[in-house]
Amino acid sequence: MRIRLLIASVVIALVGLVAAPSVAQAKPAGEAEEECIKLLEEGKKIDDCQKAPNPLVPGGNEIVWGGAAFVILFFVLWKFGLPPVRNMMKRREDRIREDLERAERARTEAESEREQYQRQLAEARNEASRVLEEARQSADEVKRQIRAQAEAEAAEIRSRAQEDARLAAERAGVDLQSRVADLSIELAERIVERNLDRDTQLALVEQYIEQVGSGGNGSR
Amino acid sequence: MELVEAYAQAFFEVARAERRVEAVENDLFRFSRAFDANDELRMALSDRTVPAERRVAVIEELMGGTSLPTSVGLVAMVVGADRAGDLPAIVDRFLELSAASRQREVAEVRSAVPLDDRTRERLARALSDAVGKQVEVKVVVDPTVLGGVVARVGDIVIDGTIRHRLEELKERIAS
Repeated sequence: MRIRLLIASVVIALVGLVAAPSVAQAKPAGEAEEECIKLLEEGKKIDDCQKAPNPLVPGGNEIVWGGAAFVILFFVLWKFGLPPVRNMMKRREDRIREDLERAERARTEAESEREQYQRQLAEARNEASRVLEEARQSADEVKRQIRAQAEAEAAEIRSRAQEDARLAAERAGVDLQSRVADLSIELAERIVERNLDRDTQLALVEQYIEQVGSGGNGSR
Repeated sequence: MELVEAYAQAFFEVARAERRVEAVENDLFRFSRAFDANDELRMALSDRTVPAERRVAVIEELMGGTSLPTSVGLVAMVVGADRAGDLPAIVDRFLELSAASRQREVAEVRSAVPLDDRTRERLARALSDAVGKQVEVKVVVDPTVLGGVVARVGDIVIDGTIRHRLEELKERIAS
């Protein structure tokens, strides 16, 4: 490719060298002077013989040579310069397109990853919220259970204390009653012992015999 | 129980051979109730660390003046064989066997005062009518009954003591 570009440059330079002298030899110097003299003889002014060329309009041979050089140059460039440029542009275009596609893919992937990340983030937030809610509910449940248990235990303790107090009072009452009974009987025994003389004892025996004989009193 | 039965049978056979069944009954019954009521006597006669000769000497000392030699010998035999704890049961069974030999049952009567023979006879008749069997009365003087009489014939107890009435009164007060 570089060789072709070099050849094209050399050709363009040669064309330039060949064309330049041709423009310089547009008109011989002798002919211009004779023509100027002729005009002066005809009574015209010097300015008429040395009329300045139009700077905007080239000379005829210049147009030919310039056109030919242009065509050649255009052909050479078309033939040898344009394909490499096209190839280069094509490669560049392909590369840019690939870069764009790659960038698009990367952007798509990034977008996908971003969406996935956001989805995961949302899921994580939802999961965190769910865990938080579960923990809160669990804490509420534990709190409720502890409170219920504490209340039940307190009620049981109260009930037990009341029952203990009732039993203690009952026992105290029974003990007191028993003690009263013991003292009463003890006192009665002493009185009986003092008042039971032999005659009374024998009378009790007689009474027992009569009761047993008649099938009456007496504990069996 | 077989041992108690064997000893009671032996007592009865000895007393019958001696033709002193009733006297032996009275001696043994009296000693048995004293043995039952006196903790020190019961412990002394049941203590195996005390030599048997010493325990037999105690028995002879206690019964010698008031009981037949046969009765003393029977009690000494039981105590010497280290069976003093079974003595009340042996005597009770002996009394049952003796009474049964006469087609009678023993009525153990506890009274706060001693009873004369006439009172005993009337009491025996009354108890015989009450339980429907002929009974023989064995009286134990027991001041703890305070007054009145309690009689036990086999499983039947007829309690007419002041002690029993006070106990009933005590239960009513306590309840």
